[in-house]
Parts: sequence; structure tokens; C-alpha cells
Amino acid sequence: MTRVHVVAPTRAPAPAVLPDFVTDVRPPAPGPEHRATGRAAELGGLSGVLVPFDPGGHDALVLAAAVLRDTRRIGVTVEFSAAAATPVYAAKLSASLQRYHAGRLAWWLAVDQDPAVARAHGDVLTGPARYERADEFLTIARGVWSGRGYSREGAHFAVLDGGLPDSRVARPFPRVWLSGTSPEALDLSARHADVHVLAPGDDPALVPDGVAAAVRLPFAGDAGAFTDQLRAYEAHGVTEFVVDPADPVADAYRLAEHVLPRLAKETGHAG
Amino acid sequence: MPVDIYWRIAMEGDAPALRLGDITRGGFGPYRPGALAPGANDGYGPLDYMAEVARATERAGFVGGLMPSFPETDDPWAAAASLTGETSAYRFMIAFQPGFLHPVQAARMSASLQAATGGRVVYNIISGGGGPQQLWWGDRVDHDDRYARTSEFLDVLKGVWNGPYDHDGRFYTVAGGALPPDLRGQPFPEIYFSGSSPAAIAAAGRHADYYLSWLEPFDALAEKFAQVRAHSDTPPKFAVRVDVLARETEDEAWEEIRRGWARASDRASGGTESVGWKRGRSFTEGAGSSYRDLEVQPNVWGGFDRLRPGPLFGLVGDYHQVAERLDELIRLGVDAFILAGVPHLEEARRVGRHVLPLLKGKLS
Repeated sequence: MTRVHVVAPTRAPAPAVLPDFVTDVRPPAPGPEHRATGRAAELGGLSGVLVPFDPGGHDALVLAAAVLRDTRRIGVTVEFSAAAATPVYAAKLSASLQRYHAGRLAWWLAVDQDPAVARAHGDVLTGPARYERADEFLTIARGVWSGRGYSREGAHFAVLDGGLPDSRVARPFPRVWLSGTSPEALDLSARHADVHVLAPGDDPALVPDGVAAAVRLPFAGDAGAFTDQLRAYEAHGVTEFVVDPADPVADAYRLAEHVLPRLAKETGHAG
Repeated sequence: MPVDIYWRIAMEGDAPALRLGDITRGGFGPYRPGALAPGANDGYGPLDYMAEVARATERAGFVGGLMPSFPETDDPWAAAASLTGETSAYRFMIAFQPGFLHPVQAARMSASLQAATGGRVVYNIISGGGGPQQLWWGDRVDHDDRYARTSEFLDVLKGVWNGPYDHDGRFYTVAGGALPPDLRGQPFPEIYFSGSSPAAIAAAGRHADYYLSWLEPFDALAEKFAQVRAHSDTPPKFAVRVDVLARETEDEAWEEIRRGWARASDRASGGTESVGWKRGRSFTEGAGSSYRDLEVQPNVWGGFDRLRPGPLFGLVGDYHQVAERLDELIRLGVDAFILAGVPHLEEARRVGRHVLPLLKGKLS
């Protein structure tokens, strides 16, 4: 089954300038249109929304929580770095989001960040060590998630007799998204990923067995041509698409009304 | 000076009554008939109950809610970010321990929440009780070092907020940290700072807008405030976290306590290093075994920790008595309250309707 996700905006759009004589009651600083994008994805039957880490935009976790509250069915994938929080804390925060929002949160762990961006966010780790840290982060997060009495002493993080409290409300561990084509990246995916995201042109055969292959690509051309592009990837085993829209809200509806039906015609399922 | 009165929001689930204790609201414990917001098949879950508490709190006359954070609770950042659209004036007082989040990430999250709420974020900075609980969180930093880290954390957070900012310190290194243009110029959240140890009081002097204490016998509280003043170049304002059990008559109020006490267990401290908790216990040392023996001064009762996890002291009495005790605290120098009661929803409405209107403040 093919799944289509749309990338949510993280910055406020520049407001259209209204003529002087038109009464303007718009609030002074409207935020990004992430909520409208999420609702469009939900109404249109898309599979989800990706809220990317954007150093120049609003925080992805805060935006993702609002999208989750506005929707009931779609998945919401939030991108963040393993340097932003300890794995215990990331697990605790995410467990609450899962309890609140019917288990629809997914994590995209950003590992291969631009070094200047990383330093500005307090992260001085570089090179393959970042993949070791990501491995430890995901291992510990899963460990405390699965129950009481979990201990681990790692190079970057540690926990003693940890474990999240029991919840009556279902609280699945977030689906894990990873990306990258280096041996370290692919190795990390083989151990932890549910979804591995490729760039256009990457070989889908690189994606480890048992991990869903995804491609992140811009929404370009008309709906027919774009659908053909997705079908070509499908033929190579790609089952998830992350679409970077030019105009998130409008493009989410275009995907819903014009691309999904075309995809469904071929494959029987799409969303 | 206006007094800010907050109401706690239950992050650990809620009980139908203080005397009953069992958490049946909010989806943590096992299901039982009568449980609210179980999140089973109807799609309504823990967050919907919390949203109801937030709305009731706002309507009842409180300025916002303290969202506490312990191993057994939900997470305040997750809750606040999920509830931004439910209220229009309610302030989200987010409890967190520096060290679990990187300060740059905390700055980004805070500024984004400020933008989403119109500046309604307030911090409750806690530095941790220590002991096994701290290792549960995956934190190996020692008690006194945690306050040094808290100080550095807040330096970095403020530096990035007003960035660009470079920092090479003991716990954090940042090069060119800044908020993006979309998030610049948001108001920096007010800081409520908790901690009873000398290390905490020293750190509070530097960073706190409000020094927040659990309720204690009033003379002990006055002494604690004096200590904080002595350690601060610019003394902070003072806030107290107070459980309230107020009823139309005093007998009704104590009857609730009596019934709760009959089924209460003596909760162990859990090996906590929390100086506040030990201090609290010391005020009732040698008290008799009856629940009334823990009434250390009129209406000030030190047994709340036996009825639900958390602070020891709170107020028990009729509406007028409770209001009078709160007025006494205001005269003693308290600038803000975080009140609480179980169940948080109905008790917010009751206290807002029957107690808050009786307050006279400094004039009393």
C-alpha cells in the first residue's frame, strides 16, 4: 500500500498585501500554516504530515503537537536531532503525545546535520560518532519504553532502573524514520528504522530488508506527470512518498483530489 | 501589587475525590467502571480531560495552570503544545528539569509556544530531588552540580533567546546560537524557581522571578523567604504551592480528611534527596497518630502526602477560613499561589466560586 505524506510549513508565510481601502482584520503575526496543512491531509485521505527540523523556523515538536490535536487519523512525523534531548526525555515526551493522540507520532532522527547548524544548537559531535549516538539514543528510548527496570550505561547517555509508567491508553513506540546513504546511515537503518527516506536518484535497493523505502521529492509538474513519477518509484519497491509542496495547503488538496485517485487506479490502494 | 493565582493541572491522572485516592481519570491505571476519559473506544482520552480542567480553571478565575513533571506523570511540554488552542488567557506553567533538554532546544520550543499562545508560557524550573529518581531520568549529575547546571542552562537559554550567542562552559557549548526571525522578540517566560537547599537558594537569587516553595508552617515559610532575600541582590517575588480542601463548613472539610486518612498509607519518601520533602516531614515529627495531630496551626495540615503523591502541607477548612489563611500568606509576602485540589476539575470550580471572591489581600 502506497502512503503519501506532505511536508508541513514551519515558517509564517509573507502575508498578502491588501489594498488600503479593504478592511483588514488579520491577526498581526500569523504563524505557519501547519494546522491547515494537517487538516487538509486528514480531509484528503493522505497518510500523514512531516514536520521537518528547520533552523530558520518554528520548533517541529511544538508544531507537530498542534497538528496532532487537530487531526484524528493521519500520522505526524517530527524531525529532531539526538542532541536536542536525552533519549529518556524524548521517550517521555513522546509517550505523552502517543497517549494523547492515538499513537500517531513518528520520529525522524536527523543525524547528518550541517556542522554549523549543529554547533548553533549546541551539538559539537561530528562524523560517524553521530551515528553511534543515534544508535544509543534509539536503543535507550526503546528500552525505557518497553518497561520497568531498564538500565544502560552508554558513551553518550545512561539510565538506571528506568522505564515509563504503565498506560491504559495504547501508547506504541513511534515509527522511526531515518535517511542517508552512507554505510553508517544504512547500518543504523537496518537496526532501527521502520522507514528509510531516500533522495531522488538514490538507489532503492540500498534500503535494508524489512524497512519501508520512501522518497522525498518536490511536487512538480501536473498531477498526471507527478503520478507517473511516483509509479516509476513504486516499480522499484518504494512504498512511501514525502512530498515537499510549493504551497502546502493547496498542494495537500491537489495531492488528495488529483494524485491519490490516479495512484489508486493502478495499485488498488493509496493514502 | 496584583497576586497571580494558578491552579495545578493533574499530569498523573486524577482521582474522583482526595479521600478515594485511586487514579481513575486520565488513562494511567487499570480500567474500572466509572473511569473518566479512558481513551478506549470513543476517541476521548487523557488530553480531553486535561483540556476540560484548563477551560474550567480559566473560567474559574485562575491565571493558569502548573503542569508538574515526575516519572509517573505525562510530560508538560507535550501537554502544553497539544492544548494551545483550548484556552485564550490560560498560562501554561511548564515544570521541567534543565539537563533533559538542551537549552537551545528549550529556547526553540519555548519561543514557538509563545508564538502559538500569544506569550502564555511560564517556567517552573526544578533541579531534581536526586537519588534513584534522578537516575531513572538518566541524569548522573550530583545534587549541588545540578544547580550549577541549572544556572548555566538558564544563561544559555537567555543568551540564545537574545542571540546570536556563543558559549563554552562546563555543561554546554554553543557557537552562533540564535532564534530564527519568526521567533525573535517573543517575551521571555517568567521563571518560577523551586528548591529548598542552600544550592537552590543561591541559584534562585540569580534567576528567579518567583521563588516557589511548598507550603510550610507559616513561620518556617517566612524564615525561608528571608533566607532567599538575604542571598539575592534583587530579591525575587514569592510563590507558594498550596493544596486546598475547602468546604461550606469546617466539619465537612475535616470529614473528607478523616475518611481519606482511614484508607491512607504512609508513603515512603522513595529515597528522595529532596530537601523540601525532608523539611516538610520535620515539622510533624513526634506528632500523634491521629490525622488532627498533623494540624500544625489552624487549618494548616501536614498530611496531604499520605492521601496523594506530592507536597505535605495544605489548607483544610471552611471557605472563609481558607481565604483568611491565604490572606495571611499574602501579608507574609506571598505574591503568587499555585493552588490544587482533587479532583482538579470540580475543585477548581469550587475554589474559584467560593474562596477566591473572599480574598482581601494586603488590606485584610
